[in-house]
Amino acid sequence: MKRQAGVMRIGVSSLWAWWVPLAWLVALLAMIQIMPDGEDIFRQIAPDNRSVIYRRDDFLTLVANHMAIVGVASLVAITAGVGAAVVVTRSWGRDFLPLVAQLASMGQTFPPVAVLALSVPMLGFGTEPTIMALVLYGLLPIVRNTLVGLQGIDADVLEAARGMGMSAIQILWQVELPLAFKVIVAGIRTSVTINIATAAIGSTIGAKTLGDPIIAGIINGNTAYILQGAILIALLALCVDSSFERFSRLL
Amino acid sequence: MIELREVSKLFGREHAVDGISLTVASGELCVLVGTSGCGKSTTLRMINRLIEHSAGQILIDGQQIRSFNGQVLRRRMGYAIQSTGLFPHWSVARNIGLVPRLLKWTPARIEERVTELMELLGLEPATFADKMPAQLSGGQAQRVGVARALAADPDILLMDEPFGALDPITRETLQDELLRLQSRLRKTIVFVTHDMDEALKLADRIVVMNQGRIVQQGTPQTLLHEPADEFVESLLGGADRGLKQAGLTRVATLMQPLDPAQAKAKADLPTVGVDDSLRLALSLMLWHRCESLMVTSEDGQPVGTLAFHDLLRTAP
Amino acid sequence: MSDAKQPANRVIIAMILLALPALHGLALTSVQPNRIVPGDAYRLMEIVGLGGALLLSLPFVAVLWLAWRPSEKRMRVIFVINIALLMALPWALALFCMSFVDADQPYARAGVGPGIWTLLFLLLLILIELRTRLQLSKGLQNMAAALVVGSLSLALISGWLEPLALAREYAGRREQFAAAVLYHLMLVGAAVALSLVIGFLLALLIRRLTRLQTPAFSVLSIIQTIPSLALFGLLLAPLAWLAARYPLLADLGVKGIGWAPALIALVGYSLLPMTRNTFVALEEVPPDVIESARGMGMSPWQVFSQVRLPLALPVLLEGIRITAIQAIGLAAVAALIGAGGLGTFIFQGLGQAAMDLVVLGALPILIMALIVDAGFSALAAYFRRGVVHD
Repeated sequence: MKRQAGVMRIGVSSLWAWWVPLAWLVALLAMIQIMPDGEDIFRQIAPDNRSVIYRRDDFLTLVANHMAIVGVASLVAITAGVGAAVVVTRSWGRDFLPLVAQLASMGQTFPPVAVLALSVPMLGFGTEPTIMALVLYGLLPIVRNTLVGLQGIDADVLEAARGMGMSAIQILWQVELPLAFKVIVAGIRTSVTINIATAAIGSTIGAKTLGDPIIAGIINGNTAYILQGAILIALLALCVDSSFERFSRLL
Repeated sequence: MIELREVSKLFGREHAVDGISLTVASGELCVLVGTSGCGKSTTLRMINRLIEHSAGQILIDGQQIRSFNGQVLRRRMGYAIQSTGLFPHWSVARNIGLVPRLLKWTPARIEERVTELMELLGLEPATFADKMPAQLSGGQAQRVGVARALAADPDILLMDEPFGALDPITRETLQDELLRLQSRLRKTIVFVTHDMDEALKLADRIVVMNQGRIVQQGTPQTLLHEPADEFVESLLGGADRGLKQAGLTRVATLMQPLDPAQAKAKADLPTVGVDDSLRLALSLMLWHRCESLMVTSEDGQPVGTLAFHDLLRTAP
Repeated sequence: MSDAKQPANRVIIAMILLALPALHGLALTSVQPNRIVPGDAYRLMEIVGLGGALLLSLPFVAVLWLAWRPSEKRMRVIFVINIALLMALPWALALFCMSFVDADQPYARAGVGPGIWTLLFLLLLILIELRTRLQLSKGLQNMAAALVVGSLSLALISGWLEPLALAREYAGRREQFAAAVLYHLMLVGAAVALSLVIGFLLALLIRRLTRLQTPAFSVLSIIQTIPSLALFGLLLAPLAWLAARYPLLADLGVKGIGWAPALIALVGYSLLPMTRNTFVALEEVPPDVIESARGMGMSPWQVFSQVRLPLALPVLLEGIRITAIQAIGLAAVAALIGAGGLGTFIFQGLGQAAMDLVVLGALPILIMALIVDAGFSALAAYFRRGVVHD
């Protein structure tokens, strides 16, 4: 009930409560718009380079591509991660619970760069392998948090739900998932934040992302390129993260 | 001796304690009673300067507590609180030896003292010395808490609801033990509780507090007989007072000495101990549906009788 | 030891049912004539023939049968088989190298294929499962680990694994590798040490000045949110400018590219977990313990050093653990801006499409992270012992 009221509030009165993510979004859009015309400013930073504005792709395309890669990977990771956690907490899947729980917590000690790098020998170069690596790594916090959320539910509540005659499916949808929702969202936030950062590094394995200007800048010794990519990635990450922050406060 | 003269404590503009005066004589067990928020804990914590008083004077043996360094003062007083506050990362023995170590006693002397205290409080040193607080039951932890408070043999002991979180049986055992210790050690004790029964049982003198002021102070008997106002009466449990008073009076005070001629005839009466309370005697009469009891001494010898109509007399 | 039959262990059965097709269907190894030319992949049948393939399936089938009707004793047998398989793996690879890689061709190399990686992963999963089902003593676990690591080390020392591509890459840059590991560790160590000092002081400061808590944590979490590559990039420009302005700084090594932006960024990232954990650790010490410590007449310094700090230590160590693991990964990214370390191999390898070079960089990073994780977890458990009793 409370949550629905919260979601409605987003649309109506307190739009200003979202001013932080909106401010980052406006800054991001402004940068996409302004930076290509900022030759004079970037010239100061990289006086020795012939070109000071990254023009191989326009910034909007890069942002869109970056978001698409992260979005697809996150959707897959959410579906698979929440699904796996639900399966191993059912009575018929519980055998797999210790293994999955340990794997999820152990896997998070692996640095994302190492996972991305090791996925190349298995999957090759390009956008799809990047997405695969993001899915694999993004799964871990989601599985872990969903498990924590589901297992943190008071046993009495579930007992009461059963006692009222709710079916297993009804209990899952109407009791367990809503109660665990907040923790699951926190896991998704972690996962998406890491994925935005890792996707940027994905440009070293041939995915077209906002990492491109940075990598190009590093290779050509062009600080201006680097700065352009860095500004856009930072704004994108801050915008997405503060949206999550705002959203989770409504829960 | 502890003296409080017109002591007040302000939190912001709120009077937590409002001009109280109180004298606790050496060797006296003084219990501060009241509902939560009445200022009793604040009063206690002002005595060892965990809280500084805003106005008035507090004197220990005639000296202003402000003339001492706060830490030095606190090392001179024992302090035990409800949640024990035992250091979870230290063993029982190390916890008990805390203040002696702060006072830089020699290790040998500390060890000796710790063993002595553990024995005094019924904690088998070999079993408990190396245990961690988390391994103790509530009652055991509280014993360690009291032992720690007594460690440096302070003259003054401050206790803030030390038995408040225990189950009734453990609480009663520890109350009995405190009385036993007090009869041996004769410390000056200030004891805070919200439980009037506990106060009646332990106190030489009860100080009832309400809204930062002292409403009444006196012996348990005075309070029972002449409660100052309705608040004190309600704390005493209203109509239950008769039983509470009976609970405070020993059978010995009202029993009739045994008439040897009648000893045979009364041999099959239920018995009650000479040190038991009148409350217990009444309960036994109700249970056995009889009007008189045989009173026995500690070694089980019959020494007197107690009849129902004896209970109605006033104690001499 | 109870020998009562339990229901079938579905986890192990599932793992074996995945392992068998991987063993037979996936390419286990490959042989390349040199670094660049794509190699020929070999499956099990192509290596040992039908008979050998069936023979090698036996241990897996045995585990399948044992897991079907498991008992304590049978699970222990599975454990032994599992360890034996892990011990045998390097020697199997050595045999493969001897028979399939032409010793006369110095550039010919054997690659480890997806089949072996999959099998290794599944065997490790079975080990995790066994560890939760069997109450294995610490000693036994350590012994098993020692056996596997010992067997691998022996195989490496023997030189028979030299034709492995990974070994060839290593052999080609022995000194660089050692230097990279050292540099990586130094970068991580410096970042953790610096952020520990700064984070600790910051935590102490905001405990005093409560007004600063919200703004401080907001700033730190904004830094933490900025992706690593972007933060490195953002630091590059101002540092390059500083170095151009003040040659003295450039002489000291502070410039856009190199260790300076890397270290600053690593410390920046580390500050949030470090400060937060230190702060929470110090705040969460039970107030009644502090109260009684003061009530006993301990001085503020004694309360802090003898009570608050020791009780905060496990959570504080947890902060160091998180920070160190994070820094190990981020230091790899820092190689992109010329900070050196193991990341150099990863990005060189990616640039040259030399997969084994990538693995040579990534594998030690992974191992480092696991060791740090295990080490700090054990340390935290050691300091927590007794305090929390379960």
